[in-house]
Amino acid sequence: MLMPKNQNLIVERWDYRLTFAKEGRARYISHLDLMRTMQRAIKRAKVPIWYTQGFNPHAYLMFPLALPLGTDSRIEILDVALTEDIPFDKVVEMLNSSMPEGLYFVNAARPVMKHTEIAAAEYDIAAELSSSADEMLAKWEGFISQDEILIEKRTKPKKGRKQPGVKLIDIKPHITVVSAEADGNILHLKLRLPAGGEFNLNTSVVTDAFFAYAECEPEQIYTTRTKILAVNGADFV
Amino acid sequence: MKEIQQKIEKLLLKIQRPARYIGGELGQVVKDKSQVNVRFAFCFPDVYDVGMSHLGMKILYGLKNSRPNWWCERVFMPEKDFGQKMRENDIPLYALESLDPIRDFDFIGFTLQYELSYTNVLEMLDLAGLPVHSRDRHELTPIVVGGGPCVCDPEPMADFFDLFIIGEGEEVNCELMELYERMKPSHLSKEEFLREAAKIDGIYVPSFYDVSYNEDGTVESVKPNREGVPETVKKRVITDLEHSYYPESFVVPFTSIVHDRAVVEVLRGCIRGCRFCQAGFIYRPFREKSIGTIEHQTKCLCEQTGYEQVSLSSLSTSDHPQIETLLDTLAGYTDSENINLSLPSLRIDKFSEELLEKIASVRKSGLTFAPEAGTQHLRDVINKNITEDEIMHTCKMAFEAGYGTVKLYFMLGLPEETDEDVLGIADLAHKVVDLYYSTPREVRASSIQVSVSTATFVPKPFTPFEFEPQAMPEDIERKQKLIIDAIKSKKIRFSYHQQPVSMLEAVLARGDRRICDVIYTAWKKGCTLDSWDEHFRPDLWDEAFTECGIDREFYANRRRGYDEVMPWSHLDYLVSREFLIRENKKAHEAVTTRNCAEGCSGCGIGSGYGGTYCKGTQHL
Repeated sequence: MLMPKNQNLIVERWDYRLTFAKEGRARYISHLDLMRTMQRAIKRAKVPIWYTQGFNPHAYLMFPLALPLGTDSRIEILDVALTEDIPFDKVVEMLNSSMPEGLYFVNAARPVMKHTEIAAAEYDIAAELSSSADEMLAKWEGFISQDEILIEKRTKPKKGRKQPGVKLIDIKPHITVVSAEADGNILHLKLRLPAGGEFNLNTSVVTDAFFAYAECEPEQIYTTRTKILAVNGADFV
Repeated sequence: MKEIQQKIEKLLLKIQRPARYIGGELGQVVKDKSQVNVRFAFCFPDVYDVGMSHLGMKILYGLKNSRPNWWCERVFMPEKDFGQKMRENDIPLYALESLDPIRDFDFIGFTLQYELSYTNVLEMLDLAGLPVHSRDRHELTPIVVGGGPCVCDPEPMADFFDLFIIGEGEEVNCELMELYERMKPSHLSKEEFLREAAKIDGIYVPSFYDVSYNEDGTVESVKPNREGVPETVKKRVITDLEHSYYPESFVVPFTSIVHDRAVVEVLRGCIRGCRFCQAGFIYRPFREKSIGTIEHQTKCLCEQTGYEQVSLSSLSTSDHPQIETLLDTLAGYTDSENINLSLPSLRIDKFSEELLEKIASVRKSGLTFAPEAGTQHLRDVINKNITEDEIMHTCKMAFEAGYGTVKLYFMLGLPEETDEDVLGIADLAHKVVDLYYSTPREVRASSIQVSVSTATFVPKPFTPFEFEPQAMPEDIERKQKLIIDAIKSKKIRFSYHQQPVSMLEAVLARGDRRICDVIYTAWKKGCTLDSWDEHFRPDLWDEAFTECGIDREFYANRRRGYDEVMPWSHLDYLVSREFLIRENKKAHEAVTTRNCAEGCSGCGIGSGYGGTYCKGTQHL
């Protein structure tokens, strides 16, 4: 009879909330790939990661909020558990010893809030246009002052049907504009959008809807996530 | 670099899995260009997911980059979506480390691992902005070189390459680059450089040889057309594998690839001599690494990469002379580090209970066996020296250990194959299913799935079957139907290969220089990524063959005489023609040949190449 491999289970564990950056070339790593990448980084760093119990033990890693492909951030959260109590700055130093370009840790701390408390995130969007952004800024004002902003959202196929349905939803109430500015050819938008388990709104949904409204194709859009916020409006910690 | 990076970043979010096109992975080597005088673009002519799994590239990448003034970078074939975007936006093919266009490099090297990647070579040269024909590239650089197993018959690709590297690459790659480094300051011509390169053992410059043909279309001769060029080019062998370079780290991809794990090469060559298997002959002689070296390399790689899985690589890992001790040693390390040790390429006859337990202790997935033929008679013909008893014994152990899926691989269209042999495939699958039901309910898995898969046999150069015709497509289809009709159990799943692919492989594998035009024409018509079902266009290949006036059956389905000059006869892979003929005759008599560990059978390698079993070699 085969026995579970991880029999000498270490029950004692210390929880860490790590903050990391994902930028430059690393912004093209998908969420699923990031999981693997971090697992390997932790293994290389010889940080004593806590393994789950069972026939197929695996390193315990938890990302409470996925970062969309192509978005930069310096405030991403990764929760891990270790089998030893190691000082926070030491953990960061160990992890940063062998990271790929564009991925690095900036902080470690004990988790304070629960994942379910995440409610929103803030983003800086820089849309590079082929001409002056002043006109687009005016269009943005028009776009955002509409009574409703309808987008098509694909729904899961109904029982017994293969085709996914399409449903119109109004995203207007979910968008909070922190600021909107024109700077040469660049349109800067600072938005707060819902995030977390309840309801998620990607920046690309908003920008796609806007540029369709404005009948314009931007040269390039750079997006940075700047804040992850809890239900009470404070930074998620 | 900056210019290309800006251009590609605008496109990356519009294509599938962009992480494959931007580099930046851990373990990639980035150098200061001003300190580098030889740049090598190592191209794998297939997509990133496949190419990044290739061990040879990892070895040569590490080896070349260990020289401070050389810089070797990786290049892969873009998927169709990104390839199209590159063309639309004038992005030339670039290397992943520097994002510099590879047309400015000193060397562009392709590894030819399988015939269906040939059109990708042309596509990549074209994407790089270079003429695909060697004769149209007049400048010295980039020098386009090819290596890998397929260059044992490089003739179908002869028009596109400046030179080929025959055999194992570790030494000769360095010799070639050293020569270039020495000669670079004297601003020589391409012809002058190639003349010097052709003097290096293992380097074949196709344009320095003329091919003449007989009236019946067979090759009459392949002769050097310049002074000082060798009549035959002998393959290179690393005689001291134990001390040969092996990388201490790999480039660790972000996105999942086919073989996403650390890989340690434990031995090279094979003692078995299965008569259909090209690898079994062209990688001779058998050489293994010591346990200490394998252990050191395993630890090093796991620590540097952070991989949670390590795989032992070879043609037949269980033929390592100290396999049990080796596994014990490694399992001690991998278990303590929560690393999964995997062992592909195990032979059925070597499958001990203990070995089974070791690989089963983590995950009970499936077992895969390759009996290759359905009856003992045909297994004797192909010299696959395993018996039905051994297969059943192993399956019995596996079922008792709780395995619930068994995959069985076979070939169709082998020489001497009768309908009885074909039906033997279905028969064997049924016996495996029956064996499961005779295993006590308490220990066996809750269900059984036997997957039977047949590939069409493709005769390859430098094997005893290089003389054999490939079975006609109608014959293969009939045999596939025979199996389908003979399978009665719902627990058996049967799959088989597409016919046009196998026939194309057969033509390309044993083609001569007249096939170059067919490949060029097919590529011009839009054939690329031929090994992918969704991209393979048999209709376009048909047109290409017709337009070039090439009869496929001449290459695929014709029996060659023992005295025929083969398109590759000027290449010497050390295994003698006499041995291949002897083995071919024995195959037709269904007589087996002992393996190298049991005693030498006189393949012709001799004792000078470091082979474990080649000391005091007999010459029969």
